[in-house]
Amino acid sequence: MTKKKIWVIDDDAIYQIIVTKIIQKTNLFSVTSSFYDGKDGIEALIHAIENKEPLPDIILLDINMPVMDGWEFMEEMEKLKPLINQHIAVYISSSSIAIEDKNKSKTYASILGYLSKPITKNDIELIASND
Amino acid sequence: MKSENNRLKFYSLFLTKPRATGFFTFLLLSIIVGFIGFQQFKIVKDDEHRAMRSKLQVINQNIEQSLKNSYTSTLTLALTINDQGVPENFDSIGKKLVASNQTISAVQLVPNGVIRFTYPAKGNEAAMGLNILKSAYLREEALKSIQSQKMYFAGPINLKQGGVGIVGRLPVFQNDKFWGFSAVIIKLEDLLKSSGAYNIDRSKYYFQFSKVDPTTQKEVFYLPKENEFSKNYSVSIGIPDGDWEIHLTAKHQNYLYSQIVVPAIFGLLLAALFAFLVTMMLKKPAELQLLVEKQAANLIKSEIKFKSIFDQAAVGIVYVDSLSGYFLEINEQYSKLLGYSAQELQKKTFQSVTYPDDLNEDLSNLEKLKQGTIREYAMEKRYITKSGKIIWTNITVSPLWNIDEKPSKHIAIVEDISLKKEAEQLIKKTENHFKSLFEDSPLPLREEDFSKVKSYLKELNLMNLKKETVEHYLLSNPKETNKLHSLIKLVNVNKACLKLYKVNSKEELLKVKSELFNRSSYEGFTKQLIAITQNHEKVVLDTIIKNSKEELRFINLRWNVIRGYETSLDRIIVSNEDITERKTAEKIIIDSQTRTESLINTIDGIVWECDIENFSFSFISKKVENILGYTDEEWLASPTFWADHIYHEDQESVINYCVLKTSQNLNHDFEYRMIAKNGSVIWLRDIVTIVFKNDKPSGLRGIMIDITKNKEAEKDLKNSFNLVTEQNKRLLNFSYIVSHNLRSHTSNISSIMSLIETSESEEEKNEMLLLLKSVSNSLNETMLHLNEVINIRNNIGLVSESLNLKNYLEATQNVLSEQIIAKQVTIMTNVPSDVMVNYNPAYLESILHNIISNSIRYSHPDREPLIGIKWLIEDEMNVLQISDNGIGIDLVKNADKIFGMYKTFSNNPESKGIGLFITKNQIDAMNGNITVESKLNIGTIFKIYIR
Repeated sequence: MTKKKIWVIDDDAIYQIIVTKIIQKTNLFSVTSSFYDGKDGIEALIHAIENKEPLPDIILLDINMPVMDGWEFMEEMEKLKPLINQHIAVYISSSSIAIEDKNKSKTYASILGYLSKPITKNDIELIASND
Repeated sequence: MKSENNRLKFYSLFLTKPRATGFFTFLLLSIIVGFIGFQQFKIVKDDEHRAMRSKLQVINQNIEQSLKNSYTSTLTLALTINDQGVPENFDSIGKKLVASNQTISAVQLVPNGVIRFTYPAKGNEAAMGLNILKSAYLREEALKSIQSQKMYFAGPINLKQGGVGIVGRLPVFQNDKFWGFSAVIIKLEDLLKSSGAYNIDRSKYYFQFSKVDPTTQKEVFYLPKENEFSKNYSVSIGIPDGDWEIHLTAKHQNYLYSQIVVPAIFGLLLAALFAFLVTMMLKKPAELQLLVEKQAANLIKSEIKFKSIFDQAAVGIVYVDSLSGYFLEINEQYSKLLGYSAQELQKKTFQSVTYPDDLNEDLSNLEKLKQGTIREYAMEKRYITKSGKIIWTNITVSPLWNIDEKPSKHIAIVEDISLKKEAEQLIKKTENHFKSLFEDSPLPLREEDFSKVKSYLKELNLMNLKKETVEHYLLSNPKETNKLHSLIKLVNVNKACLKLYKVNSKEELLKVKSELFNRSSYEGFTKQLIAITQNHEKVVLDTIIKNSKEELRFINLRWNVIRGYETSLDRIIVSNEDITERKTAEKIIIDSQTRTESLINTIDGIVWECDIENFSFSFISKKVENILGYTDEEWLASPTFWADHIYHEDQESVINYCVLKTSQNLNHDFEYRMIAKNGSVIWLRDIVTIVFKNDKPSGLRGIMIDITKNKEAEKDLKNSFNLVTEQNKRLLNFSYIVSHNLRSHTSNISSIMSLIETSESEEEKNEMLLLLKSVSNSLNETMLHLNEVINIRNNIGLVSESLNLKNYLEATQNVLSEQIIAKQVTIMTNVPSDVMVNYNPAYLESILHNIISNSIRYSHPDREPLIGIKWLIEDEMNVLQISDNGIGIDLVKNADKIFGMYKTFSNNPESKGIGLFITKNQIDAMNGNITVESKLNIGTIFKIYIR
């Protein structure tokens, strides 16, 4: 079983540190990349596609971000889909407990789940195993 | 025979033309008178001439006598001359001569032509020594005298010694030798006096003495010329002794004529008179003749007239043999009446054409006529015409015999009165018809005689007085009114009337009439009386009567004067329609109307009714005054009142809506505003129903309900709802902010805590603790922000002051001067220095700082930053506009986020997403507003609305 690659897109620096720590602890992922807003994430994605670099297996996506929020990121990613020849599982990880956000997440086929912060090791292990 | 005829003709000519005859007579007599007069005149004239001549003859003889005497004297004087040629005793002889001869005024002896001796010497001295032969105007005569050896009278001359005189000179020869002259001087006056010339009637005649001047050959008159009588008759005699001539002229030619003219005129008058008499005499038979002719003409004329009357009269005229009854003469009209020709009638008797029923009366009348008991008669009788028709005529019969004569024939004048008869019959029929109408009319009718009422009103002097005056009189004199009532004479009543009064007969009604005259009918009667005084012929009124059963009945009384009786009021038809039932029904209707109306008026809404076409109102309930202030009269006065008083904003839409709904025959219910009388705006709900009549929409009816209070409540509710919604939104936002922001921290803390728990090394634990500290600081910061926002929202310690905006802008720029310089920002401020705003100073500072620092922070990297600050007024609100040419914000994506908490739109590490959030909250707290317009890469405009 190969280790999976995971991207974390979130503007919360502390969260980034924490979630990276947890991911490392699970020892299930080979690569953990951090992006501070949706724009960073989509640019990295485009960059990877163009350079035929390995794409992430899983993306942990925050909703509220400056410049490009989670939803905008999803829109952009949908556009890139034809170029992506592998499955990328997107999980929302948000501190928002608003039901609208949860519902909205279900409208995207790429979004496999909605994780409420705080993210636990268990959560990471679950998404890693959930293929 | 012929001549006799001519003579007769001649006479008759004289006889027939009396005036001409008179004239000829006059002419003849005048000629005779003229001839006689002329003869007379001639005789008189001859007599006159003779008289004049004889008179002149006498004077001539006297003159000649004087001259003879003079001759004698001169001769005597010459005898005094002696042979020596010297006169002897001249003076004594001269004296004797002058004394004996009155005419001689002096004597002279003129030897050799020189005057030597003169007696009397006195008075004649001037002539002494004069040589006659040498005197120019004496010489010729003197020489003539010497030549003829005869005495010659010279002169008359102006004597040297004065006066006019004649000198008679006798040449004296001595021994055939001329010695000289013996002369006498006769004064002309003396000569004429002695001749008797002065004794002639000077009123009749005029005497003249003349001589032809020997030198000039002109006739010289020596007596004063009294007049020019050359035309008058005169006689003259010449006196050869002195070549004189004496004349006698008739002074008045007329006197001669007067002797002739008077008888001539008299004669003429007589002639005229005679002529007149002759004329008159001759005229008389002519006049008589004329009269006869005239009478004859008249006779013919009247005969023609009578004939034409007879023939062309509009009435039939016949001569009838009184004994046999045969028609003798028939005029055209008569034959036309009966349809027979005149020839046919002449074979008939009047009896045969008279209608048998009328014949007896006619005959008996004729009998009386024959007997002389009557002199004429007239009757209406019928004739049977040729065609068998019966005609009605009026016939007048007069006898053509005198009283004492035997009946011979009579004249009948026949007038066709068929039409009149028909009319009479028609009238009779109408009368009957009327009678049955009257009698059987279902309407109670009375025929009454008001003539006495009217005459009594006249007696009371109430006729033609003013209505009010009459009324006053009648009301204040009930006795008179009662009397007037009693003067009505009831002529007739019909069955319906008896029924109305519940009596059986007219007599019964009369009996109770005065009792039934009650107060109410008294009033009605007064009205009738007033109408009579105003000469009205018709009265209509509602009154109340009492019938014999003491029941009161409402009556519609109509009082009509029958045509033809307008002045006398003899016949009046009074109808009494019993309207008790109608009155009762009316009362019920009126009551129910009143009830409905009062019901409508109690409804707390305006009930109305209007025309379907033009929305003009026909009814509006009184409530309109309570709700809108207008009276119903005001409302109904104008057909467009409703449309005119709709609030202007609603007017068009309301009317269009009504027209639309009405055209679709749909009942409608809508709300609009109207302007009340006091100018306030009233909200009405109008519920409109279309009224159908015979399945056709005929009008609109509805009710307007005042919903102003509801509307106001609704508005308040809406406002408070908006407020609550806004607050709710804010609250939700806030709770969201709280939950989100706090959750991110708490989740981080939670994660860190679990990492600490699972930490494998002390180092890792410390790392986590540091992280925890960082989260704690973030949490604290967030709490502070939240606290600040809560404070702003709670308005705690919010104090507003009047602040100079310009000063604050400058202060803000000072604070930001470092960044401004660093980024080379140009700030253009266009705010008047006197603009004052009522604001919390801290807020104002914070707002300006936040927005301007934002503009600096998000300036575009490619261009020099430019910030414009403007003060303007928009929609009556003060606006501070701050614009920049910075990077801008994609408002399409971020419109709902821009003023949210912790919303940032860039990766700028300084972005905290709190500035605009706080700014928005501060502005809201000051009851203001902030808006943003922005375009990516172009710039952003913030507008801060300040109250």
